[in-house]
Amino acid sequence: MADVYNKAGFDFSNHVRNSFLQSKGVPFPKATSTGTTIVGCLFKDGIVLGADTRATEGPIVADKNCEKIHYITDNIRCCGAGTAADTEFTTALISSNMELHALNSGRKPRVVTAMTMLKQYLFRHQGAIGAALVLGGVDSTGAHLFTVAPHGSTDKLPYVTMGSGSLAAMAVFESQWRKDLDRESAINLVSAAISAGIFNDLGSGSNVDVCVITAEGTTMLRNHVTPNERGAKEKRYKFRLGTTAWTKESVRKFVVDESVTQISVPAGGEAMDIS
Amino acid sequence: MECSFALVGKGYVLVAADTTAARSIVKMKSDEDKTKVLSPHLVMTYSGEPGDTVQFAEYIERNIRLQHMRNNHELRPQSSAAWIRRTLADSLRSRHPYSVNLLLGGYDEATSTPHLYWIDYLGTIASVPYAAHGYGSYFALSTLDRYHNPAASLEEGLRTLRRCIDEVANRMAIGVGKFKVRVVDKDGAREVELPPSVSVA
Amino acid sequence: MELNGGSVVAMVGKNCVAIASDLRLGNQALTIATNFEKTFPITDRIIIGLPGLATDVITLKERFRYRVNMYTIKEGREIEPETFAHLVSSTLYERRFGPFFVEPVIAGLTKPSEGSVPFIAGTDLIGCLTLPKDFVVSGTASDKLFGMAESLWEPDLGPEELFETISQTLMNAVDRDAFSGWGAVVHVITPDKVITRTLKGRMD
Repeated sequence: MADVYNKAGFDFSNHVRNSFLQSKGVPFPKATSTGTTIVGCLFKDGIVLGADTRATEGPIVADKNCEKIHYITDNIRCCGAGTAADTEFTTALISSNMELHALNSGRKPRVVTAMTMLKQYLFRHQGAIGAALVLGGVDSTGAHLFTVAPHGSTDKLPYVTMGSGSLAAMAVFESQWRKDLDRESAINLVSAAISAGIFNDLGSGSNVDVCVITAEGTTMLRNHVTPNERGAKEKRYKFRLGTTAWTKESVRKFVVDESVTQISVPAGGEAMDIS
Repeated sequence: MECSFALVGKGYVLVAADTTAARSIVKMKSDEDKTKVLSPHLVMTYSGEPGDTVQFAEYIERNIRLQHMRNNHELRPQSSAAWIRRTLADSLRSRHPYSVNLLLGGYDEATSTPHLYWIDYLGTIASVPYAAHGYGSYFALSTLDRYHNPAASLEEGLRTLRRCIDEVANRMAIGVGKFKVRVVDKDGAREVELPPSVSVA
Repeated sequence: MELNGGSVVAMVGKNCVAIASDLRLGNQALTIATNFEKTFPITDRIIIGLPGLATDVITLKERFRYRVNMYTIKEGREIEPETFAHLVSSTLYERRFGPFFVEPVIAGLTKPSEGSVPFIAGTDLIGCLTLPKDFVVSGTASDKLFGMAESLWEPDLGPEELFETISQTLMNAVDRDAFSGWGAVVHVITPDKVITRTLKGRMD
């Protein structure tokens, strides 16, 4: 039953019932996923990360402008693809543990630490947590860029892509990435890679988010490119008041109406009742 | 073919359940009481997996009774319904869930209003003016849509119930047999006789 | 979702928010009740909509009431809409591998001292938050609601205009959904009152 203090970790108490329902043929609602394009690449002064902003639920676009570049620490960010809730909560958990780790050790957190925490967490859950990540940051040992797959395997490369749009984005990197790019060309290259995903992969869409991490600091360029702005509506579809027929109305007022009734008192005051 | 009906009228709730105990295609018994008086102003019909039904109904009956004795006060229909639902919902998360469908009729003495709850084995609950469980619901709900009147006297309510039972008897491929009918009102729960059926053309 | 049916939509207006749900409770194709509201008040200024498996709708309604009460007692203040949205999200993610079959929608206004700013949010069944600026939809008619809301919604609608827009969005969407409908209820939350109206809808 519901306790005042919740134990850590997942709660499986619905599992028996859900497998029973499933055997009965009750369809499972689908979770929001980020059929995504996420990328990252090294440049002269650090790392550039990029992501599209579409979230899907089956064939439906659930969110047209979501954020897929998650905060880990001031100098580390993480792009997430896969089951949206998993990327959201996994990065939040690691971010929290990284902060505690930094406070505990009194040192600036390192990218490998975050990467190790992520891979150990994901490996422990044997791929059931569907988070595919691109992790990047700059620490005392330099700039680092990793990918972390849902089962916990990792790669360390100078340019990486993940998600359903990874092939389209990788094609751009493969043809245009060079060593020691300057900041502006790195941002442009990442934008081009994400755009390739947005326009060629159905799971990716809307805008380009970019994040630049250098030893000097981190700059988040939210909606850096917006190639899919919605045009202004030509007509308005407002309804005339009273269009909708309703049968019952109740209004709950927060402001209490108060009226003061002045009771007139005869001059010299009222005589005392001595009956 | 198990089936049960219930409806709310002016100051009362009527509940009815068939009295057949069947196993596969064999009728084992024709006077099985599938209703239970849980407390002076609360009755319940139950149907579902044989075995589960009686076990669950008795569990509920005794806990409601215990509540009554401990507090020297009857649990109100709303609260009883919420507790019964929760018991089912929790049971569903256990290894051997109860597969029981209920209709719960009660009279709230505090507000002098009748209440009827439709509860299924998943722990779904709905407060309704009339309800049915089993295959009979496909016939009876449309009859009740047409004839139910929340301000009906007990006689009129019983006539409406009779219509439902006749409809099921007429249209269902397999017979349902006799029904046990109970009413709850301000005077408590008691068994009532159905009026004779009006011949349907 | 399709077992019991039901849909919810929430929209942002100018200094107000609206949330609406249909009233059907079904058992697959059979309609059991036409008075089953899927919206529940959390505080004076927050309402949650819970379309999905009816048993979970009720279980979660009770659980959120409990958790919000605990929060209120511990913190000594009312919960804010955004905080509540995260409470919903983490309650659902806790059951990542044995979820409740609901897709909640949250609508509310921040406290008056912070300007009564409109807030809406939606989550999927495992608690992934989406925080759109315009509207959230959920339930068996969600794809139809997306279409209706996308074309009818516009920014800065007043409470009465928002009522018409959300009502028409919901009614026209559920009329094309076999599992939702049978009447609807709309709540409009403004800084000084909550208006609740039961709509006259198709009963088929």
